[in-house]
Amino acid sequence: MSAQDTVLVVGAGPAGLSAAATIASMGKKAVIVEKEDVLGGAPIISGYAKLVPSGEWAKDAIGRMVSRVEGDGNVSIHKSTKVTQVAGEAGNFTATLSNGDKLDAGAIVLGTGFTHFDSINKPEWGFGTYEDVLTTTQMEQMVGTGQIRCPSDGRVPERVAILLCVGSRDRQIGREWCSKICCTVSTNLAMEIKEISPSTDVFIYYMDIRTFGLYEDKFYWKSQEEYKTKFVKARIAEVTKSPDGRLLVKGEDTLVKRPIVIPMDLVVHAIGMDPNALNPEIAKTFGIGLEKHGFIDRAEQYTNSQGTTRKGIYVCGSATGPETIDDSIAQGQAAGSRAVADLYGQQKVAS
Amino acid sequence: MAIHEKTLIDPDRILQHDHLVVDGVDVSGSWNTMITPRTLTDYEEHFEEIIQSYSGGENVHRCWQCGSCTNSCTMYAQNVDFNPRYWIYLIRLGLKAELMKDKDIIWQCVSCNKCTNICPKDVRPEGVMKATAHWLEDNGLTPKTLSTHFDEEFTHQCIEFGRIEDTEVMVGFFKRSGQPLVQAWIVEFGKRLTKRLPLGQLAKMGMNVVFRPKTKSWGKTGEVLAEYVKAQKEAAHHG
Ligand SMILES: Cc1cc2nc3c(=O)[nH]c(=O)nc-3n(C[C@H](O)[C@H](O)[C@H](O)COP(=O)(O)OP(=O)(O)OC[C@H]3O[C@@H](n4cnc5c(N)ncnc54)[C@H](O)[C@@H]3O)c2cc1C
Ligand code: SF4
Ligand code: SF4
Ligand code: SF4
Repeated sequence: MSAQDTVLVVGAGPAGLSAAATIASMGKKAVIVEKEDVLGGAPIISGYAKLVPSGEWAKDAIGRMVSRVEGDGNVSIHKSTKVTQVAGEAGNFTATLSNGDKLDAGAIVLGTGFTHFDSINKPEWGFGTYEDVLTTTQMEQMVGTGQIRCPSDGRVPERVAILLCVGSRDRQIGREWCSKICCTVSTNLAMEIKEISPSTDVFIYYMDIRTFGLYEDKFYWKSQEEYKTKFVKARIAEVTKSPDGRLLVKGEDTLVKRPIVIPMDLVVHAIGMDPNALNPEIAKTFGIGLEKHGFIDRAEQYTNSQGTTRKGIYVCGSATGPETIDDSIAQGQAAGSRAVADLYGQQKVAS
Repeated sequence: MAIHEKTLIDPDRILQHDHLVVDGVDVSGSWNTMITPRTLTDYEEHFEEIIQSYSGGENVHRCWQCGSCTNSCTMYAQNVDFNPRYWIYLIRLGLKAELMKDKDIIWQCVSCNKCTNICPKDVRPEGVMKATAHWLEDNGLTPKTLSTHFDEEFTHQCIEFGRIEDTEVMVGFFKRSGQPLVQAWIVEFGKRLTKRLPLGQLAKMGMNVVFRPKTKSWGKTGEVLAEYVKAQKEAAHHG
């Protein structure tokens, strides 16, 4: 395998899997290096339920992406492996892997993704204190089991509160971005909960609803009109427990201008997407820059959209900022094509 | 249509002429009652900037109306009309007339800063409350607070004499804030002082009240200081 035939793809989430498949389909070799022992990224590792917007189960949809590369002779896969060193330059990189192997590649694509916000960093909202306070990833897993229950005693919840923007849009904790997908994911979860447990009412506490583009009617309106989800304009200040064991959400209903203290059985944090916690290490290993929030910085926005600040290294998906699966896949294709173009030497790499 | 339940309408929105004759018909009193519309008809665009020119109000433009400040607020727990989130909204849009309805409670903020600690946009609502209260005071829209009276007396003495004299500060403060000069606790305080303090010390205190010593060669310093304070205030509000 010569450098001129090969693209190194780091990370096997939706973005990296898409890049690898694109590279292989163009007749070049893709070598995937993934730090976990499973492929598929966040939707598989965190066990998401039905995806926005397709409604397909994550394990089926992303599973197809995984089997596509596993069955492709042009793709080789290293699991439980990381890249520890990158030498050389665009057109002729040599990467050292954590298992000691060395690998020549003409270009590199990073699909190293994001890290889920850790709700422990917002203690006032009760995560880690009360068993019946969960995150959207835990709720996705619960939907996956086909039953909606309170972890504390197994009862069916009469009411579920979903709190939006947990770990996003918050200067107090240095997270000034919108995580883009959690509004839609939350309306989707509200419908899934109602479907499994018709006696459960779901309330979504919001500051803004950002179900952008075609998600508006398919998710926001549908959950409101058909699934009777209630939307309350309030940022919850505190989650506590009442003497009878139920949870209490406290805040100001800003439209009524009244304080609210409402009993709930389950409280779900719509957690945001942080930069990959490993980004400082990744930036050092690959010699690339990070943007001000800590995501991977891009090169020229319009003529080299998937480029990083280092020539010959490309990036795709949520490594660049909060992204949907669909956009991560599209970016994977773009980064893969661009990397192959480098191999052909047909296109000058914008610096 | 007759108005059956006037109590449901803000008194200042009810217009009524005691004596009114239209085309020879006497429609005095209830017969001519009108209600002014509730529609907001404009914004005072520069109001936000005015509040921002006061110390503490600088970040008011950042608010996204989440309500966290109001919910955490010590005063809101006492009185749901004390609503920093709502006032900030009015300030931002320049809905001054609406804000005026609450002008007599805005100063009640106890500066506990719970709002500042919880605000996700770093608006510093406590500062906005302070700025708004100062603006209200500056424009004579609310009576001065006790602490403002005290500050003013204190500053006055510093500038005038280059030093303060405790008794004078208290007397001046009571005068400015319209409180009686003789108060039960002062009488008691005086009694105990005379019982415990040595005679010499008491005599010295008495002399100070009568002769009001100035700091040596204070002279023009006070004037210069007063000029400076004035310039600073103007710079802060028009800078
Ligand atoms: C609760 C929740 C629900 C969501 N539901 C949806 C949905 O329904 N629809 C939708 O469109 N989006 C959804 N999203 C967003 C979705 O998770 C992302 O769009 C998607 O995972 C991004 O894919 P990615 O490949 O860029 O990153 P990831 O999925 O994060 O994959 C990155 C991969 O790189 C690996 N990796 C990281 N660092 C290294 C390293 N240094 N070396 C080697 N490998 C590394 C990781 O182990 C991982 O496998 C949801 C997000 C959340 C939080
Ligand atoms: S997508 Fe919605 S919940 Fe997520 S950060 Fe943005 S506004 Fe908040
Ligand atoms: S500082 Fe003032 S406005 Fe802020 S919480 Fe305390 S009392 Fe309320
Ligand atoms: S907490 Fe901050 S952003 Fe939220 S309403 Fe109050 S001032 Fe505005």
